[in-house]
Amino acid sequence: MSRPPAAPPPPLRHYVWTWLALLLLLALTAASAWVPMGAFNLAVNLAIALGKALLVAFMYMHVRRGTPMIRVFALAGLMWLALLATLSLTDFAVRLG
Amino acid sequence: MSATTATSVQRQACAPGVAKPFHDAAQQADAAALGMWLFLASEILFFGVLFFVYALARAHLPEAFAAASRQTSFVLGTANTAVLLTSSFTMAAAVRAAQLRRHGAAALLLLITAALGVAFSGIKLTEYALDYRHHLVPLLDFAFDPRLARGALAFFWLYFTTTGLHLVHLTIGIGLALTFAWREWRRRTPRLHEQVENVGLYWHFVDLVWIFLYPCLYLVSRA
Repeated sequence: MSRPPAAPPPPLRHYVWTWLALLLLLALTAASAWVPMGAFNLAVNLAIALGKALLVAFMYMHVRRGTPMIRVFALAGLMWLALLATLSLTDFAVRLG
Repeated sequence: MSATTATSVQRQACAPGVAKPFHDAAQQADAAALGMWLFLASEILFFGVLFFVYALARAHLPEAFAAASRQTSFVLGTANTAVLLTSSFTMAAAVRAAQLRRHGAAALLLLITAALGVAFSGIKLTEYALDYRHHLVPLLDFAFDPRLARGALAFFWLYFTTTGLHLVHLTIGIGLALTFAWREWRRRTPRLHEQVENVGLYWHFVDLVWIFLYPCLYLVSRA
């Protein structure tokens, strides 16, 4: 073996707490949608979705445990998407704005 | 040089489940995980484009998107999100059991995960049936307030495209979960936990897509 064996998986209670946090965030976003806050409704919904996504990525997908190469690959998808979206948006902004 | 090659070949022959191009099991496991992440990166682009189109259309047709979103089922959509988040928990627990070589527990948890996936699909198909009854399916007999019909049509095209593609992904995930539940039960596949880890990554990714679809489709304008 060229490297030490993989670290043991985290205790089950970490996964249980993550699950409860996810359900709590779902309840928050569902309830907040019924409170009139104007543009803040969208901001709250997106912030909570991002929080849920980070919980899943870090607690369930273990992105921090991956090799540096895996992290680069995971970020590359987001980076290309950001690049494509930015370039497309400049096009739309100029033509439709 | 030939001596080291010979030993590494011998070691390869000894290690069960290590395929030919790899030096050792750890390298093979890294490569497998890397391959899955490469696939997921391409999936980010695949779904990302749909979210981009959604954002653009919603920015130009805000009132129609608000009105159209109110026609989706808040209760079923929220319940389905809870089902899917729970399935991610059981999948994470299944991967953990596989890593600890608790084959029976892993098989059972994968089975529960697949069942939750089937429950999600059932609720989603029920929603589709309700959408059809409310004349919300494009190309069939779509009918909406004429002032907002164009934008609402755009919303429901995106609604059916994104949830439909998500459902296809979930169906594949259910198939994978059942396949690996069977393999965990049989205990014959070497280095099985690494494959189950990849199935878990795929399942969690499908969950991530839904986490963003839920507010975009169901919560646009409830207040």
